[in-house]
Amino acid sequence: MSFQDLIDPKPKKVFLLANEAIARAALESDVKVAAFYPGSPTSEILDTMYLLSGKYDDIKMEVSINEKVALETVAGASMGGFRSLTSMKSVGLNVASDTFYTLGYTGVNAGCVLVVADDPHAHSSQSEQDGRYFAQTGHVPMLEPSTPEEAYQMIKYAFNLSEKFKILALVRTSTRVNHQYAPVNIGEVKRRPFIKNKWNDVKGKYFTLSDTARRLKSEAIEKLIKIEEDFNSLQFNKIIDGEGKVGVITSGVSFLYTLDALDNLNLKIPVLKLGTTYPIPKKLVSTFIKNLDKIIVIEELLPYLEQHIKIIAKDSDCGLEIFGKETGHLPYVGEYNVSIVIDVLSKIFEKNIKINYKEILKRSEELKKVIPKRFPVFCAGCPHRSTLWSLQQAVKGTNFVLNNDIGCYSMLQLEPYNLTDMMLCMGASQGISSGMQHVLNDKIISLVGDSTFFHAALPGLINAIHNQHDYTVFILDNSVTAMTGQQPNPGSDFGPNKVVEIDIESVVRGIGVQNILSINAYDLKNNVELIKQFLDKEGVKVIISHGPCALYNDRKKRASGVPIIPNKVSSEACKTIYACVRDFYCPAIELNMDTRQTEIQLDVCNGCMSCAKLCPVTAIKSVGSELK
Amino acid sequence: MKSYNILLTGVGGQGLMLLSQILGDACTSKDYPVVVGAQHGLAQRSGSISAHVRMGDVYSPLIPYGSADMIIAMEGMEALRYIEYLKEGGVIVMNSRIMHPPLETAPIVKNRQEKKEYITIDQIFQQLKKVTNKIISLDANLLALEAGNPRTENIVLLGAASTQKDFPLDSETLTNAIKRNVPEKTIEANLKALEIGRRQAEI
Ligand SMILES: Cc1ncc(C[n+]2csc(CCOP(=O)(O)OP(=O)(O)O)c2C)c(N)n1
Repeated sequence: MSFQDLIDPKPKKVFLLANEAIARAALESDVKVAAFYPGSPTSEILDTMYLLSGKYDDIKMEVSINEKVALETVAGASMGGFRSLTSMKSVGLNVASDTFYTLGYTGVNAGCVLVVADDPHAHSSQSEQDGRYFAQTGHVPMLEPSTPEEAYQMIKYAFNLSEKFKILALVRTSTRVNHQYAPVNIGEVKRRPFIKNKWNDVKGKYFTLSDTARRLKSEAIEKLIKIEEDFNSLQFNKIIDGEGKVGVITSGVSFLYTLDALDNLNLKIPVLKLGTTYPIPKKLVSTFIKNLDKIIVIEELLPYLEQHIKIIAKDSDCGLEIFGKETGHLPYVGEYNVSIVIDVLSKIFEKNIKINYKEILKRSEELKKVIPKRFPVFCAGCPHRSTLWSLQQAVKGTNFVLNNDIGCYSMLQLEPYNLTDMMLCMGASQGISSGMQHVLNDKIISLVGDSTFFHAALPGLINAIHNQHDYTVFILDNSVTAMTGQQPNPGSDFGPNKVVEIDIESVVRGIGVQNILSINAYDLKNNVELIKQFLDKEGVKVIISHGPCALYNDRKKRASGVPIIPNKVSSEACKTIYACVRDFYCPAIELNMDTRQTEIQLDVCNGCMSCAKLCPVTAIKSVGSELK
Repeated sequence: MKSYNILLTGVGGQGLMLLSQILGDACTSKDYPVVVGAQHGLAQRSGSISAHVRMGDVYSPLIPYGSADMIIAMEGMEALRYIEYLKEGGVIVMNSRIMHPPLETAPIVKNRQEKKEYITIDQIFQQLKKVTNKIISLDANLLALEAGNPRTENIVLLGAASTQKDFPLDSETLTNAIKRNVPEKTIEANLKALEIGRRQAEI
């Protein structure tokens, strides 16, 4: 997008990321409150709303401490009579689920939309969780777009649906939808004036217990019956006519793979594309399957549609044969693509495949053997690299367990570090360390980032202090939530509105930690001894390592015209000792194959000076201000 | 419209997403159908990244294996890393620059007496030639400096790509899209980079 197009109130056709289209649709839907905690693949919804809220000052936008608080914030705004939006990644809804399930009972007032994005293939998540079951078990209607255009339209529809039935509306996406760009026909932005309501004018009852709970549950179920009626004829559910007695039922991005595959195989078979996947429009499905002998259900993750359709087919007693995951035709694991769909359809229809993709994959694997892997690594200048170098040196030769958490430092589990024993989900490093210190003799070390500290680690840490546990907490404070795109967290000094920066050290002191060590991440050699001594102390001890995220800090420097001055290796001084690369793994440092000396890539290095500090012969120096 | 699939590959931080944005915006301005499947995911620099740019009458955001008309690789190794997407005899427009990842350096340093070598661009060419002989390789880093901005490697490669037979976007459309999408003060360098890339490919 060009941001100008996105803020321009006029309708037009623009090339947009689905996540941008979602934010634009929310803007056009007159959303007044938006609250998020970042998480891939939804983070750009937050980022776009952040930008929009800078231009439209009637949007109250915040980056929340976690998903639970974000959902509560938007639900509260809806109860108060204004439209609101939140989005989160699949596992984010686990954190918000207590609130989510109860909102399914109480309902809401003004349109309240929750976007939840699953991540088939676990590209950037700890699991391939299937978020569709939340809708079903939470009594909340669910829409599933396939394209950016449809995401845009569904968000607008979802606001109306939510408002009409006073129910939370869920829009479920997946990575390949969120991160899909295409032309979108955006509409006009018309904002209503934002004057705070009086509770008496909008008042509802949002509590549930016992009798009320049972009543609210049956009300929710009644609403869903009515919603299903609407869904049976909704434009997002489409039947594409075709020939023969074999059809496909699909949804989301799998619909697009199906269309490509059918084109490729020159097949014209009937297809039912479901845009509403809870409640499933049973009448529509029955009509579709009535005249068919077989259907193939194409969906990623669990056989959610497949099982629902089996039930519908049994109820309508049409003797339908259903192919999918449960029959072994399609995989349970990983994301789908056109080739996978071509493969299954060609078998069922006994069609020849034009391109033998299995052969291609095999040959490519062979060809690629000569190139090394390029895993994600800590960026050049990343403070984590320096902190973790010191930690690695400090624990050499000791018995320890490393309980990691969720953030850029999660990469410690990858080659070449291979240095993680446990990493479950945000904040888990604390509770797991508590359990382990009860039963293990080793030093227990946990790592958390600043964002994760606030998000979910704090209760675990308080619990550990209260119960007098014995382990070490490293808080890697890089001032932002880096891994998802450097959004602010409660420890940051910026945000979409005015913020108060929460000082981590004061919090830790306030909850009663006696042993606190505050270090500068880039003082890496001196830190080794400090860390060593500290690890030997008793009780819960906290080391806070400070150093701003390099990406964030470099961007800030560029914006304010501060030069970024890289380092260079002096070929006279370098004695190929390799202290700058061993255990340090900076992507800016390569070897010169002729001299075997190290060399620094000027356009990658940001001059953090850590490698220079590691060099025993001081061969690394700043190039000086004359360059760049 | 007949489809044209381009796979963009490179290393995080090289401006690959901007390139896909320019291509998508260029298509949209001409009312060509286009869909781009981008790999966002993690924010770090220096990892391997790709974007699938699909023009014409196609639906899904991923190019099927063996179906890309062109790979534009911003880095040498990344031309080979996604080779399964290239169709038989497809075009590769690539940067001859290789960025050696820490994982390649680590074992060399660890076992220094073995005097292991980095992979070379010639070894990569050898592999690529088993799939296609249409390879355009440029020192985009050097050419970008010539254009006046080291961050215009992406546009140098775009310039070279645009000279290829069947490439669906004309130079005026690309120029306008670049103007709309790059920071104002870099427009001149970017347009120069486009021209330099084009000229190089025609040599
Ligand atoms: C429940 C949940 N919400 C969001 C995410 C997405 N996520 C992955 S890493 C990360 C950043 C954590 O930030 P921080 O702990 O400060 O570490 P940094 O990346 O800055 O090093 C987030 C939010 C997640 N994995 N789980």
